[in-house]
Amino acid sequence: MRIFIVIPAYNEAGKIGGVVTAVRKQGHKDVVVVDDGSGDDTAGVATEAGAVVISHLVNRGQGAALKTGTEYAIRRGADIIVHFDADGQFLAEEIRDMVKPVEKGEARVTLGSRFLGKKSDLPFLKRFIIMPLARLINRLLSGIKLTDPQNGFRVMTAEVARKIDWRSDRMAHCSEILFLLYHKGFRPKEIPVTVIYPDFGQRFGGGIRILKDLFLARLID
Amino acid sequence: MLARLLWQRSKKQVSSGEFVFWLIFWVLVGIAVVTLKWIDEFVRDLGFSGSGIEFLLYVAVVLLFYLVFKVRLRLERIEKQITKLVRSIALKDSEGKR
Repeated sequence: MRIFIVIPAYNEAGKIGGVVTAVRKQGHKDVVVVDDGSGDDTAGVATEAGAVVISHLVNRGQGAALKTGTEYAIRRGADIIVHFDADGQFLAEEIRDMVKPVEKGEARVTLGSRFLGKKSDLPFLKRFIIMPLARLINRLLSGIKLTDPQNGFRVMTAEVARKIDWRSDRMAHCSEILFLLYHKGFRPKEIPVTVIYPDFGQRFGGGIRILKDLFLARLID
Repeated sequence: MLARLLWQRSKKQVSSGEFVFWLIFWVLVGIAVVTLKWIDEFVRDLGFSGSGIEFLLYVAVVLLFYLVFKVRLRLERIEKQITKLVRSIALKDSEGKR
């Protein structure tokens, strides 16, 4: 099965080299980095590390970059597509855990979860306020029950990727992808993953923006 | 205002669609000013305690909100179109490299 790892990146020249190298070391040779209009040499560093780099002329947002990368993977004959973060918060070793159920045919989509047993060192604010709030909002807006709805670690078959046409450019894509998955009847399987928190994460303002984006998305469509 | 608008049109600063829009707008404003007494009566007949001018003000505010809403929607649509373009360019470029 041909596995493509799609990594959207914006100004990650410092980290992307290490991430791509780590992923390739695990045996995944088809790595696609989408340079989302970075001001630094993210593209150059990623290419050096052995990734295929697709560049957005201007910054469009993580949702847009992911979609571009996924499109590319589909066109290049991917069977399985993995969404992976560029900032080093995910572990390349866990790609295998995420892909295995899909390879075996147990699920067509797997989603990473920080809260399924593996210890992730979440900052206090995130663990007890932001994440429960995000989960609640997700439940209310979509009726979807997941332990970690904002997780960017995803694996899906190419067939699913073709049917999931998310339009959100920015951070609302997380919720939109989930919504589309459930809407089209693809039940995701949650897999425990580790997320490393050096000293930052998505700030609270992002949550408000996500709500606004989702609302507008419903209106326009 | 009408004179200025006609001048802008002749100087090609305004498209014909916009021109028509603002033309109608200023004509309506002119009419509102002239028929203010009638608007006053109309409003009083409806049972409102406000004057015709107040009524016009409320109408103007509602219209403004509506227009802002439309502009915001338009902006969102344009953003999506830009993304489509950027994506197309990005994918085309990557194909060229292979």
